[in-house]
Amino acid sequence: MPQVRIIAKNFMDMVAALPELKLDKLYENTFICEAVLRSLPPLAKKYVLQLLFIDAPVTAKSMEEWVLADGLSKHRVAIDRLIQLRVFLETTESGALPREPMPSNITVRLPTLEELDVYALEQWELMDTNAQLWYIMREYISNSEDRGEDPADLISFLLELSFHATGQAYNLNTLIDVQMHTLKDLADLGLVKLQQGRKESWFIPTKLATNLSMSLTDSSARKEGFVVVETNFRLYAYSTSKLHSEILRLFARVEYQLPNLIVGAITKESLYNAFENGITAEQIISFLQQNAHPRVAERTPSVPENVTDQIRLWETDLNRVEITPAHFYDEFLSKDVFEGASDYARENGGLLWEDSKKMRLVVNAEMHAQMREYLRRQK
Amino acid sequence: MASVPSKLYSDDVSLVVVLLDTNPFLWTATATATTFTFPEFLAHVLSFLNSIILLNQLNQVVVIATGLNSCDYIFDSSAPSKVEPFESARMPLLYSRVLRRLEDFLGSDERSERSNGAAAAAAPSSLLSGSLSLALCYIQRVFRSGALHPQPRILCLQGSPDGPEQYVAVMNAIFSAQRSMVPIDSCVIGAQHSAFLQQASYITGGVYLKPPMLDGLFQYLSTIFATDLHSRSFLQLPKPVGVDFRASCFCHKKTIDMGYICSVCLSIFCKHHKKCSTCGSVFGQANPEAAAAATDRKRKAPEV
Amino acid sequence: MSSRQVVMRARYKQSVKDPGVPGILIMTEEKFVFTPDDPMSTVNLNVDFRQIKSHKFSKEGSNKQALLNLIQDSNVKGGSYIFEFDKFSDRDVCRDFVGKVLGKLQALQSAPKNPAINSERSDVQVHHEQISTTEMELRVKLLRENIELQKLHKQFVIGEILTEAEFWATRKKLLAGDNNKMPKQRVGLKSAMLAEGPLSDGRTNKVTFSLTPEIIQQIFTEKPAVHQAFLNFVVSGKMPEINFWTKYCRAEYLHRTKNAIAAAAEAAGDEELAIFLKRDDILVKEARRKIRRVDPTLDMEADQGDDYIHLPDHGILRDGTKETTESEYDEYRRSLLQDLNRHAAVVLEGKALDVGKGDTVTVAEALARSKQAELANEISEENANQERSERLARMAEIEDLQAPRNYPLAPLCIKDPREYFDSQQLNALKTLGDTVAATKPINSSLSTVQAYGFLRKFISDVKERGLVDPVVNPETAVKVLGGLTQQLSSAKYHLGSNPQESVLDRLPHRTKEELLHHWMSIQELLKHFWSSYPITTTYLHNKVSRLKDAMADIYTKLQGIKESVQSDFRHQVSLLVQPMLQALDAAFAHFDSEAQKRSARTGERPNGFV
Repeated sequence: MPQVRIIAKNFMDMVAALPELKLDKLYENTFICEAVLRSLPPLAKKYVLQLLFIDAPVTAKSMEEWVLADGLSKHRVAIDRLIQLRVFLETTESGALPREPMPSNITVRLPTLEELDVYALEQWELMDTNAQLWYIMREYISNSEDRGEDPADLISFLLELSFHATGQAYNLNTLIDVQMHTLKDLADLGLVKLQQGRKESWFIPTKLATNLSMSLTDSSARKEGFVVVETNFRLYAYSTSKLHSEILRLFARVEYQLPNLIVGAITKESLYNAFENGITAEQIISFLQQNAHPRVAERTPSVPENVTDQIRLWETDLNRVEITPAHFYDEFLSKDVFEGASDYARENGGLLWEDSKKMRLVVNAEMHAQMREYLRRQK
Repeated sequence: MASVPSKLYSDDVSLVVVLLDTNPFLWTATATATTFTFPEFLAHVLSFLNSIILLNQLNQVVVIATGLNSCDYIFDSSAPSKVEPFESARMPLLYSRVLRRLEDFLGSDERSERSNGAAAAAAPSSLLSGSLSLALCYIQRVFRSGALHPQPRILCLQGSPDGPEQYVAVMNAIFSAQRSMVPIDSCVIGAQHSAFLQQASYITGGVYLKPPMLDGLFQYLSTIFATDLHSRSFLQLPKPVGVDFRASCFCHKKTIDMGYICSVCLSIFCKHHKKCSTCGSVFGQANPEAAAAATDRKRKAPEV
Repeated sequence: MSSRQVVMRARYKQSVKDPGVPGILIMTEEKFVFTPDDPMSTVNLNVDFRQIKSHKFSKEGSNKQALLNLIQDSNVKGGSYIFEFDKFSDRDVCRDFVGKVLGKLQALQSAPKNPAINSERSDVQVHHEQISTTEMELRVKLLRENIELQKLHKQFVIGEILTEAEFWATRKKLLAGDNNKMPKQRVGLKSAMLAEGPLSDGRTNKVTFSLTPEIIQQIFTEKPAVHQAFLNFVVSGKMPEINFWTKYCRAEYLHRTKNAIAAAAEAAGDEELAIFLKRDDILVKEARRKIRRVDPTLDMEADQGDDYIHLPDHGILRDGTKETTESEYDEYRRSLLQDLNRHAAVVLEGKALDVGKGDTVTVAEALARSKQAELANEISEENANQERSERLARMAEIEDLQAPRNYPLAPLCIKDPREYFDSQQLNALKTLGDTVAATKPINSSLSTVQAYGFLRKFISDVKERGLVDPVVNPETAVKVLGGLTQQLSSAKYHLGSNPQESVLDRLPHRTKEELLHHWMSIQELLKHFWSSYPITTTYLHNKVSRLKDAMADIYTKLQGIKESVQSDFRHQVSLLVQPMLQALDAAFAHFDSEAQKRSARTGERPNGFV
């Protein structure tokens, strides 16, 4: 169905972008059904639930009867999403036929005590952990075809994993080869922990894995924040964590470190350090916002605007105009000549700019002699 | 990339406190009279509970049993699950937990019945006031747990007739729910309507419904009562016709528009009395003529 | 009655912009006559005051016309008569006269025309009030602003069911509320500090002070010593005024130069000058007096430390220069802080003497008078204060020493809460369409033990066999969903899309307006009706019967609305009308029973009763 490759904003966009057949196959898996259901907007969830046992087409009009004037836009979004995900199928009478997305009895596997959050959380900094996780998983999934794996299988395995109980050991022998392979990668990411028994091996999902499906929905549980940023760029972090202190050090100048309080300042120098290390202004700002102390989190904005603006300005400061002596070529005789020339310039690393429509290009001045030589040869 | 930081739970995260009517007489009576049995009821309700939890990872369900003599929490999805023997492969853990606790509850309810020695058959109404209070207590605790909590609502699955002796307690519970903005949804599964629940839903802004087809109970539950509070602002849900708040007098049970009200206990009378029959307050007006004149002007009972 | 009349020159105008016809306006209590100067003019007015409903007049102002507008009763003719007067004072004479006449007429007019009333004349008179012009104005204004009120007024007062006085008697609050407007704001003193600074031309040693009467007034209020000196020297004639001010300016100049030593030297040689240079004793005295007047319950010691004036040099010097503090010259020194505070106090007291542009002597004397009055006030106030503080001291109890207050209370004991339930349940269930009137007890032949046993068996069955699958069969599900959807859409059709919409909004506009108006009328009538009981005078008796007739009229109109309305709305309209009819019925019933009682008691009606 979708030929255009959609840049998936989240997991479910990626699921929705799967070809029809694969998508339908995915729905054979209970976990996928559940995860899809949870990812839906509230109104869509309700529609799925109320049509669970309905096996005849329901007219779109009768669904609209329930909607108040205020809710029409939300209603449309919900219906569109359901059709996109093929939970609803449009029928010729312009009605929507609901499919049964999941069996109503979902068996939850053995749950037991959980304990190992810290193991996973250590490498995850700055961004919302789930968002980062998703960032990585997205890459992992989109690369799966290159590794010869079926992305649908991968998605279903990942989702299944997310419904496992945290901290519970699951025997590896229930898994197929592909899953085994994936699991090792996941262990590196901290999603699962592998445990070698005497005879058998086990894997223990961490909270990150079980949160995977949570990151699919908009609602996420948030931990309590600890950072207060003042309009004078000073920063107070009420934390005992060494990790927090280190994260702050990435972009702020830490001035005092008390047992439960870190006092610092955001300076141009400290930010340049961060930018050099590849941390973006947005990441810093969102870190400050996400970890805002409850006292300031109540306010909007939680981080003073002058501070966020300045952070962004300092970042853009780095993007300066650079002067490169160059030559401008135009009036090419034919498209072929133009393309040949631009390819030549590119291959030699001298192409600065090109406009294929108007057949114009700009090439580094150092290459001018070569270019002239090349163009003469073409004639 | 980085998701927009959400300060609160998204609006559709719900805490549903379900009050189950476990009046044994209700279920044994329906067993003989109609086709809707207790096991069927349980099947519908359990599926509903499961659906709520399924809709959102953060959704929370609490079940309270409304017995004849006692009420108790039966299930709390947020409580840490103890290691329990996997009883049956036939049903999810939630189900078996609810069933087991329900069995326990019935046992203890019966025991307190015996110790009370009350003649249950005379007034086979379940303890709605008690379970409403339990629900509200739970919700208050959630409110106080911090800024981050799901949106609570109460769902009464009630089949027993109203217990008039619970009037004061039930009304108090209703008003306290109203104050804390907790809607009380009512799904009446008995033979007759419930004036209590009608008022409860009306006052708290919940939905009152008496499903005409009980074998489709789950459909009612999922279509109407599963709707989270956030979505309710976009949807049209069945509205009650309106509650007739006119009162009838205590003395003759006549519906009246104007009458005498005891200034102490708010009892209503259609005629002037010397003494309040409810609280025993004496209405001090010696001269009936003057009293009549005064009441004509003021149109209410004289001060005590 | 025609003995009183007003004769005034005026111009009759067709409209405000019309130049008008000059002539003579003669007003008597019955009518007004306008005769133009030009005998050829066709404008000749002879109008009965009874045709005049109200009057308006233009605001006083230098460049405004002095207008009086007599507005005709729209029932008779409509339109108005506008007169322009030469002076506002002329106009005001006519205006006041018209006000009185109209007030009297209205009171008379609204009095019942029943001849029987004549015997009770004195009684009726009680209800006639002499309405002042302002009161009249206020009423007219209220009527004009409130269309509902106007409607009622027209219906009942002009319809002669209520008298003007009766109508307004129930709206005293409305009248009073408007009357008690804040007094007009007066212009106070400028908050800017006096800048009576010396103007030096820089070349010569000549220093100019400019003193205007306003400045002088301010100087007097801010510096009582100067004021006192002025009274002593200038007013008593000991010193020419110019000399006085020269000395004052010299003293000011010395202050400005901050030369305390020079000031001290000059003061030693000049007694009068010393007064200006030294600390203002009157102010100091006044301050002491004020401190004495502070409420004794206030703990002054607590903020003694806040009093910065005592601290050496804490007052910022006016130009920032610091001086060595030598106590002997202390009294020749003034700090900016003191000046500021004194000025602020005077501004806040806000006493602007209304002497206008009088000379300095008048200003000084007026100020002295007001000071005296103030002092007298203060003394009486002080006495009152003392009393108050003594009372306070008596009343303020030390709470710790009090016995716990146990008010007698009787515990509320409700015999049977079931009654409350019964009183509501009946109607509640009726609206739900339950035909079962009372709660139908679940009849069960089972014993308690059996019942519990059954239930537990059900559960163990479920545990054993698992749950029904599928929970709902699709057919039922479709039916239920269809049913609910239909219920919703039909409710939508009936109730409109907006749930907040009231029943009234769905009625035809005219019916809605009528109903609302009748409801207002009924409220007005009932208010008067019930407040007339017990009937003690013939006047009240007549009033009640008039009211009853009016209510009966509305009653039939309501019935008419009920019947005329379309069948779709008939039910809703009758629901709305019902409480109105009931309220009226109650009034009628009361009227009848009272009438019966009355006739039974007196045997026969006294003379004059209808």
